[in-house]
Amino acid sequence: MKLNDISTSVPKKDHKGKVSGQLPYISDVKVENMVYGVLYRSPIAYGKISTIQLPNLPAGYEVVGSEQIPGPNYVKIIKEDQPIFASEWVNYIGEPILMLVGKELNTLYRLLNEVKIEFEEHQAIYTLEDAIYRKSESGVTMASYEFGESLEIISAIEHGAHQIIEEEYDTGYQEHVYLEPQGMLALYKDDEIIVQGSMQCLYYIKNALLSALACGEDEVRVIQSATGGGFGGKEEYPSMMACHVAVAARAVKKSVMLVYDRSEDMVVTTKRHPAKINYRTSLDKDGNILSMCVDLFLDAGANEGLSSVVLQRALLNSAGVYKIPHFHAKGFVLKTNTVPNGAFRGFGAPQSFAGIESHIGHLSKQAKIDPLEYKRKYLVKQGDPTITKGNFRDPVLMEEMIEDLLYSSDYKKKKEDFQRFNQQNQRYKKGMGTSLFLHGCGFTGSGERDHIKATVKLVKTKNDHVSLKISNSDMGQGILTTLCKIVAKELDISYEQVFYPDPDTKEVPDSGPTVASRTTMIVGKLLERAARKLKTQWLSGVEQEVEEHYIHREMIPWNEKTFTGDAYPAYSWGVNFVEVEVDTLTGNVRLEKVYANYEVGKVIDERIMKGQIDGGLAQGLAYGYLEKMTSKQGKIQQKSISDYGPPTSLDVVPIDSKVFDNPYTDGPYGAKGAGELTLIGGAPAVQSAIENALQTSFQQIPITPEVIINSLWTKEGEEG
Amino acid sequence: MAEKVTAYRFDRIDETLSQLNREDCAIIAGGTDVMVLHKSRRGVPPKFSKPIVFIDHLSELKQVYQTDKDLHIGACCTYTELLEHPLIPTPIKSAIKTIAAPAIRNRGTVGGNICNASPAGDMLPLLYVYNAKVLLRSVNGDRFVAISDFIQGPRRIQRLHNEIVTEIILPSVLEEGTHVIFEKVGNRNADAIAKVSFAGFMRINKERIEDIRFAFGAVGPTMIRSREIEKKLVGKTLPLADAEIDTIVAEFDKIIRPIDDQRSTAVYRKTVALNLLRYFLSLKQ
Amino acid sequence: MITFTLNGRVVETDAPATVRLLDLIRDDFELIGTKEGCGEGECGACSVFVNNLVQNSCLIPIGSIAGANIQTIEGIIETEQFKILDESYSVAGGVQCGYCIPGMIMASAALLSKNPHPSETEIREGISGNLCRCTGYNMIVDAINLAAQKGDGIWQKK
Ligand SMILES: Cc1cc2nc3c(=O)[nH]c(=O)nc-3n(C[C@H](O)[C@H](O)[C@H](O)COP(=O)(O)OP(=O)(O)OC[C@H]3O[C@@H](n4cnc5c(N)ncnc54)[C@H](O)[C@@H]3O)c2cc1C
Ligand code: FES
Ligand code: FES
Repeated sequence: MKLNDISTSVPKKDHKGKVSGQLPYISDVKVENMVYGVLYRSPIAYGKISTIQLPNLPAGYEVVGSEQIPGPNYVKIIKEDQPIFASEWVNYIGEPILMLVGKELNTLYRLLNEVKIEFEEHQAIYTLEDAIYRKSESGVTMASYEFGESLEIISAIEHGAHQIIEEEYDTGYQEHVYLEPQGMLALYKDDEIIVQGSMQCLYYIKNALLSALACGEDEVRVIQSATGGGFGGKEEYPSMMACHVAVAARAVKKSVMLVYDRSEDMVVTTKRHPAKINYRTSLDKDGNILSMCVDLFLDAGANEGLSSVVLQRALLNSAGVYKIPHFHAKGFVLKTNTVPNGAFRGFGAPQSFAGIESHIGHLSKQAKIDPLEYKRKYLVKQGDPTITKGNFRDPVLMEEMIEDLLYSSDYKKKKEDFQRFNQQNQRYKKGMGTSLFLHGCGFTGSGERDHIKATVKLVKTKNDHVSLKISNSDMGQGILTTLCKIVAKELDISYEQVFYPDPDTKEVPDSGPTVASRTTMIVGKLLERAARKLKTQWLSGVEQEVEEHYIHREMIPWNEKTFTGDAYPAYSWGVNFVEVEVDTLTGNVRLEKVYANYEVGKVIDERIMKGQIDGGLAQGLAYGYLEKMTSKQGKIQQKSISDYGPPTSLDVVPIDSKVFDNPYTDGPYGAKGAGELTLIGGAPAVQSAIENALQTSFQQIPITPEVIINSLWTKEGEEG
Repeated sequence: MAEKVTAYRFDRIDETLSQLNREDCAIIAGGTDVMVLHKSRRGVPPKFSKPIVFIDHLSELKQVYQTDKDLHIGACCTYTELLEHPLIPTPIKSAIKTIAAPAIRNRGTVGGNICNASPAGDMLPLLYVYNAKVLLRSVNGDRFVAISDFIQGPRRIQRLHNEIVTEIILPSVLEEGTHVIFEKVGNRNADAIAKVSFAGFMRINKERIEDIRFAFGAVGPTMIRSREIEKKLVGKTLPLADAEIDTIVAEFDKIIRPIDDQRSTAVYRKTVALNLLRYFLSLKQ
Repeated sequence: MITFTLNGRVVETDAPATVRLLDLIRDDFELIGTKEGCGEGECGACSVFVNNLVQNSCLIPIGSIAGANIQTIEGIIETEQFKILDESYSVAGGVQCGYCIPGMIMASAALLSKNPHPSETEIREGISGNLCRCTGYNMIVDAINLAAQKGDGIWQKK
């Protein structure tokens, strides 16, 4: 099939294998001489291991721990603070201490119960509040950044202000619940360990293995197997599992499989960072914003992991899509003795957008202006500076997108209708809310140039088939299809002639991780360039190979110390409108209608884009009112899918979405990132809809029925 | 591989009963509760400390029939079977539709829901307000127990180890003129365990309350029902005065004592339970 | 020894009665289309047909299926119904990571054979025990709707 318009959908490359269930995921794989691994995990939140007593191990059963690690005992990510196997201190409940390996799971579970480890317990930090209180103690603050207007100037402005509004906003955990639990297999060979599994970032894993195994480049190899959802949950976490199976395989000279149970996965793997955000805003007598200070705290859990980078993105988005005069922001990553938090679609931005949209919405009440109207007064335009003195240099279509939704949702009339409905209806109340948001595409600042340095390769065979050699994972988001389309179209060959074999570090260069909404824009662009190059050299019937490397287009240079410059090369944009009905007897929220407009440069495949919209928005909406995870004394309380409560088909409604064209020069066919953007607007829109329905304000997400009933109850009390 | 287990699956109920009389067994009907309760970690079968006996294939336990105005429901009827059965009252069908999702409803049984005796069991509030009776059979014969006596606490029931629940009987359920509602509050719209549930039953004759019953689920170790409080409303005319409603709500306020857990809070459960009660009492018939 | 029909073939196993049907079909019969997502009946990835009714194989002890007719996704791949679903899921874009999909297909087929022309709500109810974290369900709902239209008349055939 020749592609005419790049946006026109094509059959997905992986459709057949998936629809028939015959595409193997890692837990479907069995190899000869394979044993299983199970982990002994810390039962306490903070303390020192004093004694370890192992049961008598039957033949063929072995224990693997820190002593078996050939290299240093940490999972290489950013900081060296995450042990592969805790050997002295344990920092959270569930931290791996050792692994038992052997043939029968049944026997392994029994042996696991017989392992006896004693600890000297120390006083743990269980909550973000506690960590904030103790943030000057050593080791509690793991990272911090501060930027923006000087505090003297702000203080002077506040002095002359009519009013100062302070708000404290809390966001909760979010769990990925990728449908395929985490799993990793190390294939043992005399001269090589092959690690295969569910993953987003092959070279993160390879680098972690090179360090842990202290071995040469060609002694480890990482292959992605079909990945049943990632959403960030398979960004950095699999590196630890890879170290576990690889170290064990080396130690026992057998292939080792480690697959998590759902409840294990819910309790010990990374989640979206809970956050606390404080706003302090000064207003003039008409409710106009004079200055704003934001303090943002992220709960990192027990290791730093990627938290400092998450904080950067959270801070970069702390003013939302607004041009706020005299803006200042400060942020901290704080340690608690709880399960480490990490990457999750949006990467810090969902917390910030929930907070700023909420705060701006509340300010609009002070100004007695409809929230959307108030928001539009501050909306950034092309050419405006960013909060880090960068620049929004490309056209911003937000006004058009908003106008379009005002029209298609019949916003004004709906709001009046709802008001009437609410007056007449005691039990049910309807409301409409909006959110405006953006997402910076690619790594922050000079990350692509300094850290990632992506390379892509195209290989052509004698029969003129072209294969993509890149290290990016399709985890469901569809790059197997979209990237092949880009190459096929650029080469002007049929889509069926282009292949994208499972990435294998032995075969593919490092094109970077599959994160940060970078794959289409950055890797796609490199592939487009590579294809163009191949086209000029094209010799039919001959094997050929081309390579391309990342080229940085300098804008306003990013400086991480001062937090100034262009944080991102480009931004994708979105507007969501949500209608809800709230049951005031139970606090239950029902979505009624969802409208969504986005601008992602250029859509590479309409159907895949719609999939990103519907899936991302379902997660984003649920983050705002449905999904609830809590930790008590260091223990995650919701261990099953139902208790946590991700949306079922009966919780979601059809989404009325549109995508606006606004091609971006440095993206393939003008495309920018889309994968994370779609999640971000959900929670703030649902919050403002609930607030509109109940004529009240909330300072947290998720707004669960418990929160709603509590608020109604308090309100009733106040009203007498 | 897996450990040895003794398992029985007889073709007839009398053989099943004789076996139960000989040894204490774990009964498995649909298994949707026991398989989760006894679950092992991935890749390993669930563990049972007793021999197991399967009963969900026994046709004697799958009948639905009417005698006079009473409705008899076989203990091993699955939710799907009940949904499709013309004799099952609408309120029960709407309660069933709130349970889990189709695949579970194809397996889970009403007898299992009762014998599992979970405070969040969704058949229970209605069975309480219908004054359901449980029919137990053993080699020694049959006995009837009121549902509120049968269920004694979470996972605690008044069953002797040689007995099987064979039927659930709803007395006079097929009578006209009653208004029955069931409300379940869960965290989402399917596959949700109740955080609070409420069943209300009212029979009215010319605005006058002849009979009224309430049961609350997931707010205590068993369903909460109070015949004393109910009695105070009998004879009253509708609509009830605000003060009358307030009194009833206040009485339940005293006896509903829920807990905090991973699904909800005690405060929420209580507030919502009372909200639902008040709403039911305020409804214009 | 437990005997039952698996995808049209009579099979036997001497595995203990408490073994989960899910493990038996995956490990002993090496049918990988039935997936494990939770092991507690909460995700639907393990959906199979037991006597033509969709059920969660992670909750089924094999002792209870003696004599039953079990079908997994592998057992329906060759049917006309599957082909329609396959095509509809492709056209509607219902497949992302794919892990929920075999279970979704089983739930879809079960729904349509019972109700060949379901409303949107009935479709949503029909797949409400099948968790999908990628798609937000709407494109799956569209796929089932499409399959209902395209497959008019074939759903109740055996
Ligand atoms: C994902 C999921 C969702 C669920 N959602 C709900 C829900 O929304 N609402 C709800 O109420 N429940 C729910 N349940 C629980 C369960 O499905 C129901 O309680 C169901 O009715 C149990 O029936 P069963 O036949 O499967 O019971 P089993 O698991 O077979 O048995 C349960 C108990 O009853 C005993 N037993 C069963 N039948 C008899 C009998 N005839 N005589 C004596 N003892 C007997 C067993 O020994 C066991 O102790 C859910 C379960 C799962 C896995
Ligand atoms: S694995 Fe059976 S329902 Fe999830
Ligand atoms: S497609 Fe990934 S869970 Fe459904």
